[in-house]
This record gives sequence, C-alpha cells and structure tokens, in this order.
Amino acid sequence: MHIEKTAAGCRLRIEGEMTVSSAADIRDEILAALPATSRDEVEVDLSGVSEIDTAGLQIMLQLKRRCGTRLRLVNHSPAVIEILDMSNLAAQFGDPLVIPSGECPPSQA
Amino acid sequence: MNIDAARNTFFEEAQELLRQMEEILLAFEAQSSGEEAVNALFRAAHTIKGSAGLFGFEGVVGFTHVVESVLDRLRGGAIRCGEELTSLLLDSGDHIGTLLAAAAADAAPDDAALRRGRELTGRLASHLPPSAQTPLAAVNPPEPEAALAVSGGGPLGGVDTWHLSLRFGAEVLRMGMEPLAFIRYLTTLGDIVHLETLSEALPPIESFDPEACYLGFEIDLRSAASRQEIEAVFEFVRDDARIRIVPPHAKAGEYIDLIRSLPEEAVRVGEILIGAGALTRHELERALQAQAADAGGRRLGEILCDKGVVQAPVVEAALDKQKRSEEKRALEARSVKVPADKLDLLIDLVGELVIAGAGTQLLAGRTHRSELIESASQVARLVEEVRDAALRLRMVQIGEVFGRFPRVVRDVSRELGKDIELKLSGAETELDKSMVERLGDPLMHLLRNAMDHGLEPAAERLARGKPARGTVSLAARHESGSIVIEVRDDGRGLDRERILKKAVERGLVQESQSLEDGEVWRLILQPGFSTAETVTNLSGRGVGMDVVKSSIEALRGTLDIESRPGEGTCMRLTLPLTLAIIDGFLVGVGGAQFVLPLEMVVECIELPAGDGADGRDYLDLRGRVLPFLRLRELFEVPQPAPRRQNVVVVSHGGRQAGLAVDCLMGGCQTVIKPLGVLFEKLRGIAGSTILASGEVGLILDVPQLVQLATGREANRLGGAARQRALQS
Repeated sequence: MHIEKTAAGCRLRIEGEMTVSSAADIRDEILAALPATSRDEVEVDLSGVSEIDTAGLQIMLQLKRRCGTRLRLVNHSPAVIEILDMSNLAAQFGDPLVIPSGECPPSQA
Repeated sequence: MNIDAARNTFFEEAQELLRQMEEILLAFEAQSSGEEAVNALFRAAHTIKGSAGLFGFEGVVGFTHVVESVLDRLRGGAIRCGEELTSLLLDSGDHIGTLLAAAAADAAPDDAALRRGRELTGRLASHLPPSAQTPLAAVNPPEPEAALAVSGGGPLGGVDTWHLSLRFGAEVLRMGMEPLAFIRYLTTLGDIVHLETLSEALPPIESFDPEACYLGFEIDLRSAASRQEIEAVFEFVRDDARIRIVPPHAKAGEYIDLIRSLPEEAVRVGEILIGAGALTRHELERALQAQAADAGGRRLGEILCDKGVVQAPVVEAALDKQKRSEEKRALEARSVKVPADKLDLLIDLVGELVIAGAGTQLLAGRTHRSELIESASQVARLVEEVRDAALRLRMVQIGEVFGRFPRVVRDVSRELGKDIELKLSGAETELDKSMVERLGDPLMHLLRNAMDHGLEPAAERLARGKPARGTVSLAARHESGSIVIEVRDDGRGLDRERILKKAVERGLVQESQSLEDGEVWRLILQPGFSTAETVTNLSGRGVGMDVVKSSIEALRGTLDIESRPGEGTCMRLTLPLTLAIIDGFLVGVGGAQFVLPLEMVVECIELPAGDGADGRDYLDLRGRVLPFLRLRELFEVPQPAPRRQNVVVVSHGGRQAGLAVDCLMGGCQTVIKPLGVLFEKLRGIAGSTILASGEVGLILDVPQLVQLATGREANRLGGAARQRALQS
C-alpha cells in the first residue's frame, strides 16, 4: 500500500489482495495514515486491487465511515467493481464507477 | 361424510335407479305390467330428481321433472303406456344418464345433448295437459356454468421470489469461508432481484477485528428452486450463521396443498412442514432449540410464524393435518378393519353353534347326569356370551347415518326459504351395520317431509306465537331390545280433516267410518297418498311415506305416527337391534312349534275356561279388554285343542294382543333363517329356525299378528257400535 500525503490531503493506493489474509495489515496502515482527527481529503486508488472479499469490503466500509464525504474511491479494479455491484453498495460509497467497455459486471448478466 | 363422497353415492344410486327404470320399461314392452311397476318407475324418477336437486344439478332436475310429470299422469291413469311412450321414456332415461355423466364430470352438457333434451322435452310435453307444460327455458338452462377456475394460485411459470436473510457469524472469515462466495453461488439457482448489505454491525475501526465478519445480507432471490435446494447453498456455513429463508407468498398455497396431500403418518407439526418442503430440517432444529429456551412455553408453530420462517396459514394447515393424523392413528389403534363377509361368516357359525349347543343341552338333560348337565349349561352360557360378543362386532353407531343430514337440512332450508334447525341426539346409539345402511333413505324421506310439509313458513309460525325458526329433531335411543328413532318437527301437525277428505276421495275409507287419530295418521302411509297442495321438487307427490313404511317393515321394524295440530309431528321408528339372532319364546300348537321374539312377550296366562268358548276373540285381562288370536285357527292346525290352553300376551308399538296356544315351552335362542321365496308372503310368519331338537320352528311375525288381532277387534267393535247406532 502506497500512502502519499499531499497538501490537499492523503492519497492511498492499495495493491494486491484485499482479503482476510491482509485485512489486519491494511487496517493498521490506514489507522496510522488517517488519524481520527484528520480532516484531510482522502483519495483511494483501487486499480491495484487484484482480489477483494468480505473482509476487504468491510475495510472499505470502515474507511467510508471514518472519512465520510472526504473519501473518494477512484480507479476501481474489476474485482472491486464486481464486489460493489454484488453487495449493492456502490451507491453507498457514492463514487463514480468506470465500467470497462464491452464488459458488464457478472452479477448483472 | 364429506360432500364428494355423498356426490359419488348420488351418482351410483342414480345409475342404479336408471337401470331399474330401464328394466321396468323393458318389461312394459314385453307385456303390460301392473300398477306397482308404474309406482316403482315414478319413485325412481322422483328420487333422482330429489337427490339431484340437493346437489344443485339443475339440468338433471329440470328434465327429470318433466319425465316425472308424465309418469305421474301414467300412474294416475290419465294416460296409457303404449309402445311410443315406452320408447320415449327409455330415451328419456338415457338422456338423464347423459346429463348425470356431464354433471359428474363438472361439465355442462354439450350442444348435442342440449338439442336432444329439447327434442325429448317437446315429445314428453305432448303427454302432459297444456297447463302443466314446463317452459323449455327452465328445462334447458341457457347458460352453461363457467368451468371452475383452478384454485390455489400456483406460481406463474414456477418461478417465485424468495427472501433470504443472512447474518454471518463473526468467525466465518477466519474459518476460511467467504460470505460473498455463497451469494455468488446463489446466482446459479436464480436471479438476485435485490440485495441489501447490512453494515450496521460494524464496530468503530479501532475496535474492529479485520478478520471477523460483521456483515449481513437481505436478498430477494427469484428462483424456482425448492427451499431445500436454497438452504443447501449455505450448508457449510449454517452452523455459524443465522439464515432465514422466507418462501414466496404464492408458495403458501402450494405448501398448504402439499401438506393436505401428505400421507397421514407424521404426527409432529415440524415433520409435516418438512414433508411439504415448507421448512428445512435445520430450521426446525433451530426453532426447537428456541422453543426449549423459551420460558413462555410457546408452541412451535408460533415460534416459526414469529420468525417468519413459515406463514401462519401454512402452520395452520399443518396443525390441521396433525390433528387429523392423530385422530386417524387413534382410530387405527383402537380398531381393526375386517371385511364384512368374514364377519357375516362368523355370525353364521355362531348361529349354528347356538343351535348345536342347545341340542347338546337338551340331550344332556335327558341323561339325568348332573355333571354332564352342568358342563352343558356352562358351555351354553359361554356360547351365549360368544353370540352377544359376535353380534356386537357388527354394531355401529347410528351417527354414521345422522352425519349426512345437517348438510341436507341446510340445503333444504335454503331451497324452501325456511329457517330450520336440526337437533341430533343419540348419535352414539349402536345398531346392526346392515340396518344402519338401510336406514339412510327412509330417514332422509321423513326428514324432508318434516321440513317441507311439517314446518310452516316463518310468517305463519310467528302468527301462531312460535319461534320463527323451525326445529327438526332426530333422536335415537335403545328401548328394551329395540332401537327407537324419532323424527320430530314442531310444525303444524297432520291435518286430520284433509287426510280424511283425501282418503275418502281415493276410496281408502268410507265417509261414514269413524277412525281414531292413529288410524287416520296411518293413512298417509298408503302409496300415492299426498295432501300437499303444491308439488315441490322435494316432496308432495305422495311417494315416500309408503316407501318408508315398506323399507322399515323390511327391517322388521314399525313406524308410528304421533301428531298434534299446531304442535308438530313425531314419526317413531322402532327397529330390532339385529337381524340375525333373537331370544325366542317357544310355544306349541298341536304338533307345530312356533317361536315368538322374547322381547315382545309381556306375560303368559291361562285361557280362562269360559272366555273365548263362545267364539269371542277377546278376554278380560285384569279389567282390560285383550283381543286375542287362536293360532290353531289362524294356521289351521289339524289336531284338536287340548282341554287347557294358554294365552301369550305380546306387545308391539304400544298395543297388546294375546295369542292362544296349547303349551308353553320356554325360552330358546333362535337364529333367524329367512323363508324361501315361495313362503315370503305368508301372513303372520316372519321366518324359520332350526330348533334344538332339530325340528323346524316358524318364527311368528308379532307386529303383524298384533295388528291383525286389534284390527279385527276394532272392526267388530266398530260394527257393533254402528249397529247400536242404527238400532237406536
């Protein structure tokens, strides 16, 4: 996970798996990067997420809860799009999703 | 008895009656038959029409009514039965059969049948006076009833929306299970119409365990899969998750149907629900645990409903099923089904045993050896017990017959527009099975008569200060070796004047004759006797009462009528408990031996030397006049009378008479053997039996003899009174 602090805020880029095996580490890194008092804008780049499961989804939900409208999810990887779609949570996060052309999320097939 | 069963019985009976009609008509063709045949023909048509009316087969009723009207004229002698009419009636019988077949199939008669009906009605109408012709429209209902829509509301295309409520346990992730994978797999069973992820359980991130699962899902799944299949998706996780599967609404009907069609084995509600697929075993276990933990002692059904696992109507259906299964099980546990013929064979054998036992006892008595006599009487006592027990095997509760009447009363009261209450009592009274079967029709007739003729319309009742609601009661009870069944109504009572007028019209009695009430009432038992001014679908044609009387007599019973003007009528049937074996009383006249049913014997007295010597047929019994019959004269026994004779006082239907005999031989058990066809019409003899000595004994028909004695006496007295009247 890359964490980049900018003037406007904080930019996170999550790489690799976002699953139960890495959930604890990701949680710890987020806690470290985003103290509860922080009022920074947070942008999370999800393009590197190769796999995501319920544990990963829960982390994303925690992020959303912690940052509220300051959170922006960008560059959703297909795995993330799939899980957001399946869990019907895309609206809750409120971020624009870029659906790759010629491909529909599997659950809407 | 349910309606379907009654309906089937109706169709069977109707077919049987049509066959009878055909037979009679064919006999007509061969030769002209007597009045009785026409009566039988009319009765058959009348019965078909009446029963069809009860089931609302208007087409059958309408057409049969026309046939019946023609037969009524035939019976009254207004028209004669020629070849043309016979074949017309045969065709009409066939047409009734066609209409019945259509009714049985719940279908409207097809066009060809309707055309045929119109044609036959037209031809039949030519045999009717112009005023009686029924408008064709009433006979052929113009609009066929729409076929019944299939009920139950099965799911369209078999696909329905299930609701799944999933709450995964915290540990599932650590156990290597992925909730979303289950949901993904769920899509192989159907389409997820809607899914809601519930994240309320997520704790603040600081206390959040990233390896625990906090999410819940509410899913609407459109799937044709069964509950079991859906549950199987979560098989590995179900111990660590709360999974609630709510069936589609339409499934409730399906479950209820399934529950009803289940074999009646499962006696636990849960098992029944599982059997119908409304519940899975796992859900049941959960619910049972909840029930065990529940302090309020709630029932399983309530818990299942509260949890929304099963809809309330489904649980109700299961409970209903459970109740019925239990009842059936209880019945099965208490009774063994035995084919009736095996039972009859046993009764026959017991009958023979009774005779043989009596023979042995007689022989033992002749040896004067006390041990032998003692052992023979021991055997005789046991045989008697065996006999009683065997006869009890055939006993069934009369409630079996009563059961079908509430519905009949309801329908009839609706048809007549009268408010009628039916009171049943003594339904647990037992009598011989063969009698129960043969009592249904006579009782039905009596009941219908009571409702139709007995009870007044509400307005008339109110005017007389009676409650608007009429009461018809049906009561059964045991009374000294007989069973008494009363059909009582609180209606207007029989109209003495009208009955007499009608009887004089028909030449049954002379206008000058003075009759007691009881004799007047008995006039209504004559064939074709009806005082009803309007002929309804139900009754009023004068068939019925004579049929009732003959069916009761065939059962060795009697029909008594009591009636008070304005208060009501009571028809009292007195029937023997069984048809097979009686306790008899043996008497001798000359060389012949006769058996009297013991329960009808009141007492025995010596014939006073003076009495009857002058040819009188009555004697003084403690200040009462007792008419008596001399069996010697009645049966023309050749041997001369001994010096001393005895009189056996018998009673039947509240009347007493004496029978003069030579000697009294005491009680004996008697197995009734019917007389052969040749002797069926013998007056005063009801049957025969083999006596202990091996001789044949004739069983006297006491009701007939009592009637004969009292009737003869009444005639004589009436004659004397008239003579006196003339003289003065």
